[in-house]
Amino acid sequence: MRYVNSILLLAISLIALNVQAITVIVHPSNVNALNKKTVKKIFLGKSKKFLDGSQVIPVDLTKGEARTQFLSTVIGKSESQLKAYWSKLIFTGKGQAPRKVDTEAEVIKLVSQNPNLIGYISDSAVDDSVKIAIKF
Amino acid sequence: MKKLQICTIGLSLLYIPQSFADITLNGFASIRATQVNSDGGSAPFGFKEGEITFKDESLFAIQARADLTEGLTATIQLYADGWNDFDVEARWAYISYQVADNHTINIGKLANPLFHQSEYEKVGYAHNFSRLPMAVYTGFDFATMEGISLNSQFDIADGDYTLDTKWLYGSWDGDITLNSIGNVDLGLKDILSFNATFSGDWWKVFAGAFVTEMVADSLDANSYIPAIQPGVQAALSLGATQSDVTKFTENVIWHEKDGLYWFAGFGIDRDDWILDFEYTNYGVQDSVDAPNENWYLALGKRFDSYVITIHAEESKQPEDYGFLNGINHPVLQATGKGLQGVLAASEWDGYGISLRYDFHPSAALKVDYFTGENQISDIGDYQIMSAGIDLVF
Repeated sequence: MRYVNSILLLAISLIALNVQAITVIVHPSNVNALNKKTVKKIFLGKSKKFLDGSQVIPVDLTKGEARTQFLSTVIGKSESQLKAYWSKLIFTGKGQAPRKVDTEAEVIKLVSQNPNLIGYISDSAVDDSVKIAIKF
Repeated sequence: MKKLQICTIGLSLLYIPQSFADITLNGFASIRATQVNSDGGSAPFGFKEGEITFKDESLFAIQARADLTEGLTATIQLYADGWNDFDVEARWAYISYQVADNHTINIGKLANPLFHQSEYEKVGYAHNFSRLPMAVYTGFDFATMEGISLNSQFDIADGDYTLDTKWLYGSWDGDITLNSIGNVDLGLKDILSFNATFSGDWWKVFAGAFVTEMVADSLDANSYIPAIQPGVQAALSLGATQSDVTKFTENVIWHEKDGLYWFAGFGIDRDDWILDFEYTNYGVQDSVDAPNENWYLALGKRFDSYVITIHAEESKQPEDYGFLNGINHPVLQATGKGLQGVLAASEWDGYGISLRYDFHPSAALKVDYFTGENQISDIGDYQIMSAGIDLVF
C-alpha cells in the first residue's frame, strides 16, 4: 500500500510539474490591470493600448511548453488555427503577428527594458526584473 | 584623375546603403494537382477536361511591408499563378497610415473586398478548402482596384464583441471574360464599397455591398449590340419603329449603368465544429444582366491536426425580364429573353468533401473531391479531384 501511495504521489508531482502556470509579465513600472480577455485581445492584435493609454507591444515565443499552454489556455487556438488567423490579417494589410523570440530569457530581457512590452513565460522562469501581471 | 576615379569607385563599393525602414517579408503558396472530368466532354471553371495539371491551381506570392514608423507603412505583394503562366504581377501596392488606434487608411492598388473572404481568397492556408467555393469566389478580373479605403475596428460591450468595418472608394479598368462572348474591355468607375463583420469569441455575422458605374461602351459595342442585331433587323422588318429599337438597345446595354454586388453570411467555430454560410447577389441594374445568385454552406469538424469539411454550393441566374418593361414588339422581347438566356446558361451546383492535414507548422496538405451539374450541355455532370499543399511564411 505504501508503494502504491508513493507511485500516486510521484505521478501527481509529475503532473503538477508539467502543468506550470503561465505568467504574463510586464515592465516593473507598468501598473495596468490585465485580465484574460485583455491579454487575448492584445496577442491577437485587437488591442493596441494598455488601460492607461500607453502603447502595448506583445512579445511571443516561437515554441516551447509555455507557448503551447498559452495558446490553449489564453488564446484558445492551435498553432495552425493561429497561423491561419494571422494569415488573414497579414495578407489583407490589417495586422502583423507579434514579434517572436526563441527563449523565455529573451522575453524577460526585452520586457524588463521596455514599459510598452508584454510577454508570457512559465512560472518558474520569472525573476525580479519583470512584474507579474496575471497568471493562468 | 584616374586615381580619383578609382578612389570614388572604391568608396562607392564600401558604401552600404542604410535601410530607412524595417521591412517584413511574408508569403504564401499553393501547389496543387487537379483533375477535372465531365460527362459532356468540356471541363467547367476553365479547367481542361481529363488532364491532371499541376499548373492551374498553383500560385506563389511574396509580400513586403515597410514600416516607416509613426503609423505609416508601405506594402507590395508580388503574385503569380498558373492560370496566367506564372507571370508576376504587383497584385497590391499601397501605403497605409494609422490615423487612430482603430482606424487605418490605405491608398494605392488594393484588394477589392467584393465578398467576405475576397481579400485573402488566394491564401489557401487561411481556409480549409482546396479552393474557396467557386459559386461565391469565382475569380473576378476586378479582384483588385485602385483607390482609398478605411479599415476600422470597434470594441463593443466592453470588448466582448468586435465590429470590423471597411469603406472603400476607387476604380478599375481592364478586360473581363463573358460566357459565350470572350474577353472584352470594361471599366468600373466610382466604386463605393462598405462591408462589416460583427463577431464574438466563436461566431461572426457579416454583410457588405459594392456599387459602381459601368464603363462598358466597348463591351456593349463588341458583344451585346452585335448579339442583338439579327433580332433588331428582324423586328424592323416586322414593323418595329426606330424608337422601339433605340429604347430596346438602351435597356440591354451596360454602359453608364450601376453594377451592384452584395453579400451576407455567418460563421461559427466552436468546440471544433465549423459552420460557414455566405450568399452573394450581383448584376448590372436595368440591363440584360439578370442578378446572379450564389451561395455556399460548409460544415467542418476539427480532429487535432485534421479538418474534414463537407459543403454544398450553387450558382444561378434566374430570369428577370424587368429590362423589357416598355418593350412591346414581340421580336424584340424574344431577342432580349434569348440574350439573357445565353448569359445565364452556365447555372450550376455542386457538393464536395475536403480533408486538411496540418503536417507542418507552416503548411497544410489538402485533398478534395467535388462533384456537381452544370446546365451547359457540353459540361453536364462533372467531378473535380485535387491534392495539394498550401503554405504561408
